[in-house]
Amino acid sequence: MDFGQFISYIASGTVYTVGVTLIALPSGLLIGTILALLYVYGGKVAARVMNLYSTIFRGIPPLVLLFILFFAVSKGINLSAFLAGSLSLGMVSSAYQMEIVRGALLSVSGDQLMAARAVGLSRLQAIRYVVLPQAVRLAIPPWSNEAAIIIKDSSLVYALGVQEILRRAQLIGASSQRYLLAYLSAAVIYFLLVYATTRLLNLLEQKLSIPSNP
Amino acid sequence: MKRYLLLAVALILVGAMLVGCVAKPTSVLDKIQKAKKVSVGTSADYPPYEYLDDAGNKTGFDIELMAEIAKRMGVELEWVDMPFDSLVAAVSSGKLDMSISCFNYDEERDKIVDFSEAYYTTEDAFVVTSAFTGTITVPEDAANYKVGVQSGTVQDGWLTEMLVTPGLLPEANLSRYERVDQAALDLANGRIEVMMGDYVPIQALVAQNPDLQVLYHGVLSTGPINIVLPDGDTTLKAEVDRIIKELQAEGFIEQLAVKYFSE
Repeated sequence: MDFGQFISYIASGTVYTVGVTLIALPSGLLIGTILALLYVYGGKVAARVMNLYSTIFRGIPPLVLLFILFFAVSKGINLSAFLAGSLSLGMVSSAYQMEIVRGALLSVSGDQLMAARAVGLSRLQAIRYVVLPQAVRLAIPPWSNEAAIIIKDSSLVYALGVQEILRRAQLIGASSQRYLLAYLSAAVIYFLLVYATTRLLNLLEQKLSIPSNP
Repeated sequence: MKRYLLLAVALILVGAMLVGCVAKPTSVLDKIQKAKKVSVGTSADYPPYEYLDDAGNKTGFDIELMAEIAKRMGVELEWVDMPFDSLVAAVSSGKLDMSISCFNYDEERDKIVDFSEAYYTTEDAFVVTSAFTGTITVPEDAANYKVGVQSGTVQDGWLTEMLVTPGLLPEANLSRYERVDQAALDLANGRIEVMMGDYVPIQALVAQNPDLQVLYHGVLSTGPINIVLPDGDTTLKAEVDRIIKELQAEGFIEQLAVKYFSE
């Protein structure tokens, strides 16, 4: 097996890495944003429930949740390894993303909400048109952190046999006895994926920033 | 806070009960025959039992054996690669029909899965030439000589773990070869005094070279290896055991051993 075949065997695992990330990150964002809005604006009971949700899912290692979803509840719901992995990462991530969005929402001063109400916007309109647009800007830097973590954590699905980058590096490392080269290749591919993603999010951050605000 | 915790615990308990209530199918064999497909797990990172060839396809002793077993069951074989640690859990939870990955019998594993009859017993052997004047009565005696072994094999693992690491055999006195025949060549040339390998291919080697002789053989590195089957599924076990015995009687497994453990 020549070097090109070696690398392309490992690199073809990128499909799964990107796939897992593209399910976990957006689903985590959607759930996280909804929960954060409920947390901040939903009253005392909702805040308590959200707090419990966040405490539970930030307290469980993703790998443990992955094994529970794939092995323990498999007789009830038969999830594929890919889906079980993506969903458990998404669930854990939703708790972190909820905290990110919540922090951003709270960073927008409460006076603005009151001022918006005073000029006649409804509560929902005030959140939608005044608070959220500012919160999004504040949320991007910590969110790009979360995106990088999810890309790297996607390697955990190797434990269920998803043929992603890390698992392929293990297999070809064992067969060719070139472990160092295999794992270095995997590291470079992960690095490139994370680097490209954070660069893109930096561009987005610049594009969304208010021109007068450095 | 307490109330929510109670609610969460209650939900988990109800969930666990629901999972427990789902009826087990009578035998996985029925499922396999109905689907015309058997889903088998392996961790393809353990040459020569299971590994990838240059084209990236699974190959090895276990792989070829399982292909023959599936053929005799009259069903299609679907490979699922998974890390070794996950394979038993996957069979136990019904994600896989069975697993073959150089599994030794283990009491702890036996509580949640079943084992087929051993399809192969890795016996290890020490070979010397007729010029050899020393003795090997216990396997550790090999540490007194220059030893050769095929690199990355279970025998290499045994020598490293049992003799080199405790300091009995100096690292410089252990030569690791890419292939068994290269080791045999150095044995004939006198560069090494003792060669360790799998007993089956060693016997084939000795049969071809009258100058070589086996000084010691026994179960050292691996022992009997079995296929991991779903717990309590006697129908499936009977079928797999029947085919294994058939293949042993025909000499199929021995041929595979010579093919994979000496190249």
